Amino acid sequence: MAECPVCDAEIELAADAVQGELMECADCGTELEVLSLDPVKLGEAPETEEDWGE
Amino acid sequence: MKVGFLHSLIRKEEKLLIEEFKKRDGVELVMMDDRRLIFDLHSKPDVDVVIERCINHSRAMHGLRLLESAGIKCVNSADVATVCGDKILTSLALADHGVPQPEVRVAFTEDSALNAIEELGYPAVLKPAVGSWGRLLSKVNDRESAESILEHKSILGSYHHSIFYVQKFIEKKGRDIRSFVVGDDCIAAIYRTSEHWITNTARGAVASGCEVTDELRETSLRAARAVGGGIVAVDLFETPRGLLVNEVNYTMEFRNSISTSGVNFPEKMVTYVIQAGA
Repeated sequence: MAECPVCDAEIELAADAVQGELMECADCGTELEVLSLDPVKLGEAPETEEDWGE
Repeated sequence: MKVGFLHSLIRKEEKLLIEEFKKRDGVELVMMDDRRLIFDLHSKPDVDVVIERCINHSRAMHGLRLLESAGIKCVNSADVATVCGDKILTSLALADHGVPQPEVRVAFTEDSALNAIEELGYPAVLKPAVGSWGRLLSKVNDRESAESILEHKSILGSYHHSIFYVQKFIEKKGRDIRSFVVGDDCIAAIYRTSEHWITNTARGAVASGCEVTDELRETSLRAARAVGGGIVAVDLFETPRGLLVNEVNYTMEFRNSISTSGVNFPEKMVTYVIQAGA
């Protein structure tokens, strides 16, 4: 179990979650990134940069 | 076989690819987060092949170049990333290989860019040479808006925004086509439909099924070969004179295309990468 860094809601990670994975807080809708798995730590996902894309 | 997975953020596409790699016998996946990597120009990472799934074009391009210089096979190659990541280089590659594309002009000053736009005629489309997801595209409808947009780009943008890539506007009747090429196979295609003139799914366009006709397959494969091959997504316009290639993307996104096309993208991509590393 992890905590949303924005609204403090409790978030359960999927069993196959990986470091760097993007997810959304179901409570506040913030896009989050899995910063680490052991211990589980979430952070706000980075803002879009100019050279992001395909 | 050790497969390096060059990435930063893990989106739906990367997750699906990771799951597919984990299904394969004899494959060890080595995660390579571009935010943590340090290259010393001498060491060779202990991997046999690398699949590139970075979200930053600049990191992908340089990361691939550094990995290739260490003797590692990469999918896609640094050359493909360099060409596809720059619309000017993409247009040049398409022109060199005789692949049909909309008319293009490149100019370096506000005055010459204005002349280029007037030469193509209104409306014209101004695009940043490096950019994606339909961001910072401008449909220029008349001389007044051309002058204003060019001035804004020159004054407010970084120097990159004073390299003016101008494309003839193609009336596409609300949709374009995206096709997906893996090696020598055009595995699928979708229509991208929107009421907006920009039809990127990242901008809200809706994906729907599109038959891979002979013309679409042939044009897509020619475009893929022109930029160096590998795993690419090709954006095309339907016009009375046939299909025109708009762009080629080298870190293709496919989340909206699996259910639409019924094609198992991760399976085909992972098989290609493993074969490349064998």
